Amino acid sequence: MSKVPVFNLYMGCSVPANYPNYEAAMLKVAETYDIQLEYMEGVGCCGSPNLRAIDYLGWLTINARTLAIAEKNGHDIVTPCNGCFGSLKDVYHFLKHDANYRKQVNDILKKDGLEFKGTITPRHFVEALYTDIGIEEIGKKITKPLDGVGIAIHYGCHLLRPIDVTEFKPEFLNDLIQATGASVVEYPLWKQCCGATVLPVDENLAIRLARDKLKSMKESGAEFIAVVCPACGNQLDLQQLGLKESYGEEFNLPVLLYPQILGLALGMTEEEVGLNMNRVPADSILNHLTG
Amino acid sequence: MSASNPVLIIGAGVAGMTAAVELADSGIKAVLVERQETVGGNALDLYKAFPTDDCFYCFEGNRWRPGIRKCFYRSALIDQPNISLKMNSEVNTISGTPGQFTVTLSVGPQYIDPKKCTMCGLCLEKSKAFHLISPQCQPQAVVYNPSINDDGAKQAEEECPTKAISLNAQPTEEIIKVSDIIIATGYHEMKPVNMDEYSYGKHPNIITQLELAKIIDPNGESNGVPLKPSDGKPVKRVMMVQCVGSRDENYYPYCSKICCVFALKHANILMQERDGVQVSVVYMDIRTYDRYERYYHTARESGVEFIRGRVSLIQPREDGSLDIVVYDSLLNKYLKFSVDLFVLSSALEPPEGTNKLIESLGLKSASGFVGIADPKTENEVIVGDHIYACGTALGPAEVPESVTQARAAVSKILQSRK
Amino acid sequence: MVVVYPMTEMDEQSGPPITLIDPIDMSKLDTKFREQIKSMPNGEELSACFACSTCTAACPIANIWQYKPHQLIRMIILGMKEEVLSSNEIWLCLTCFQCQERCPQKVRVTDIFFDCKNLAAEEGKVPPNIIGLGKELLEKGQLYTVTADWEREDLGLEPAVPGLSVDSMKNTLKKTRTNKLVEGGE
Repeated sequence: MSKVPVFNLYMGCSVPANYPNYEAAMLKVAETYDIQLEYMEGVGCCGSPNLRAIDYLGWLTINARTLAIAEKNGHDIVTPCNGCFGSLKDVYHFLKHDANYRKQVNDILKKDGLEFKGTITPRHFVEALYTDIGIEEIGKKITKPLDGVGIAIHYGCHLLRPIDVTEFKPEFLNDLIQATGASVVEYPLWKQCCGATVLPVDENLAIRLARDKLKSMKESGAEFIAVVCPACGNQLDLQQLGLKESYGEEFNLPVLLYPQILGLALGMTEEEVGLNMNRVPADSILNHLTG
Repeated sequence: MSASNPVLIIGAGVAGMTAAVELADSGIKAVLVERQETVGGNALDLYKAFPTDDCFYCFEGNRWRPGIRKCFYRSALIDQPNISLKMNSEVNTISGTPGQFTVTLSVGPQYIDPKKCTMCGLCLEKSKAFHLISPQCQPQAVVYNPSINDDGAKQAEEECPTKAISLNAQPTEEIIKVSDIIIATGYHEMKPVNMDEYSYGKHPNIITQLELAKIIDPNGESNGVPLKPSDGKPVKRVMMVQCVGSRDENYYPYCSKICCVFALKHANILMQERDGVQVSVVYMDIRTYDRYERYYHTARESGVEFIRGRVSLIQPREDGSLDIVVYDSLLNKYLKFSVDLFVLSSALEPPEGTNKLIESLGLKSASGFVGIADPKTENEVIVGDHIYACGTALGPAEVPESVTQARAAVSKILQSRK
Repeated sequence: MVVVYPMTEMDEQSGPPITLIDPIDMSKLDTKFREQIKSMPNGEELSACFACSTCTAACPIANIWQYKPHQLIRMIILGMKEEVLSSNEIWLCLTCFQCQERCPQKVRVTDIFFDCKNLAAEEGKVPPNIIGLGKELLEKGQLYTVTADWEREDLGLEPAVPGLSVDSMKNTLKKTRTNKLVEGGE
């Protein structure tokens, strides 16, 4: 029993509201590998980079609060959202090193009987899969491997950078994709932002960024896109509809959340991973399942 | 008495060879240990070395020696009785006390006796196991690759007109006593595989300056005609980018010092001596210190295109060419180029094993290179008690500087023995 | 911005005034701005900048910026506080961290732009749509609210997110700058 990895599950606000299929597929994948995910009590939104921009102390406090709650039971946090991961990891990293702000934040948290100590680590769900379960174990349970179909990975900025904060290597996700039997398509703009973050400020710019990215993937021979973030997923999926409507430009690149891909390879049904919620129809992935 | 002991020189590049010859000529025995199959180090791959644009063996300062054009070190390294040259060899351990070091060496098998080999080429025809690294190689002998142990090799051994081949040669271990150690371990050109903005290692037409030097060497495979590694077709457009991994806190914080001149030298050769090649250089500062300003001047005169800025994006095309977007910070515009060859002026880094050497001898480290013992003095070749360093073992340096340092180290040893 | 240069006796003697160049009067810049940014989160490395413009080359959208990332850093170092804090660019930043990742001098460019945004916010200079997001956080405690709970149920999830608390966000932001910004914006 003691070997079962236990995590505090931090959902943030975007996944539950916009991507329940991500949430469901993640929970089922976790169950398959005996990962115990416990929804955190009394937490909410991370505030996003927008809060960080206008209210640094508020942003630090709200995320330090989440970390402090997790510290009470001592289990690391996992989250499926790059935005939440970026916020939590950045705050964790910063407060560990900055005694002044740590004191300011803890003075506020004290009223709720909480204190940030930095004793647990916030992690992305896919990194926990990679590290705590491992590629070999993941591979053992796959019953319907993909047939080598080419998948372009959009890692997402806040998963990869700043590297000294996120400590996430692109190889983690490459290996996770390859474990499902799919192949990873390299494309020149793999590092580039999807544009989701400027959506509230400049929609046209956001569309252009998504277009560049999609074009680069398509030209490199990708048939599907894998993402691990609701904001990136939404942007790359939804903008394809917009690009088709406004410019008649069709990329036809279904955007799948990683647990959906892994889930299907583990033998889950398309209903279980919520394939019907994808905007760009993603059923064609089923044709690539073997076994 | 320590004075009668030989001096150990680690590394037979420009600095190590100079030190060995100078010591030997002064009557001191030198054991010159080289890891590779030929002496010459990185400089062997440069067919023109600055500042004289001459073959690097032939610097002005060496010309007094009889018969030196092209062959100064050839005779010296093989025939000077005071030099004991150990090829394919490495220093294993160093113990003892300053002035009386005990050194164990792993000496590689001597398949070819350089004193007998005349480089007639017979063995090269018999088996792929033999090859000639460069007509300039030292020792002047072919080299043998034991992993290709075919019948042709055995035939060559039998038929070699001078009986220079011995396929059963075995590695040996030697223990020697030395009074002083000269570290001349040189540098390694960084392979910038981790800088994904440059895609090095992901595309055959993205190379480093040392790799370019080999391509444009008249003694090389294409007789110096620049050809695309991807398909062997002629190169028409070349782009170089400076400060790759140098002056970069994520890699090496120091300026590698010679890359600007190195790049400009190559740019000038390509523009002036090769047909229809256009070169662009992307830089953040051009540092042609001292007399090297003339390379910069020549480059501008011969039409090399200089872009002050950094590379934004590289996109390979199906025909092997590369679309490169560069941000021009003087113009405040983005420029798009299509090039055949993208050359990275990559940092000079300490060669493998430097750390181990520094630790085992209790020396100082200067950004990973061997640090001088007392930075306050001007004794920049003294790195420990009876331990000296010269050339790029101390950090990036050009050839004349390496030679000067080698001589300085030798002169310190001579003084200490008076 | 028109700057009037006082004519001193020295000027009169040394020839015609240089009004055509319209230089930035260095004595009017805020020399403390640089130190201010350096004292803010992750601003320490600011002075390491050697103006190579790698940040701009790395930025996927600087092409449409009037002031490029390396120019903004330059402006901070020079003390052009007013111009930096009023610029649109700091708000257009994607926060993709590519500039910061590639900076050869480890200047935390993206983080420094966050510092600038916080200083601008302190002065009440925040674009309305960002204020709107702040208001959303202050009033609803989150950016996205579950509306289609049947979708969750179809997937076997609880209709409401287990453990969700929106009050902690609301209560926290009431005491911090967000509240002031939203109040001030109304």
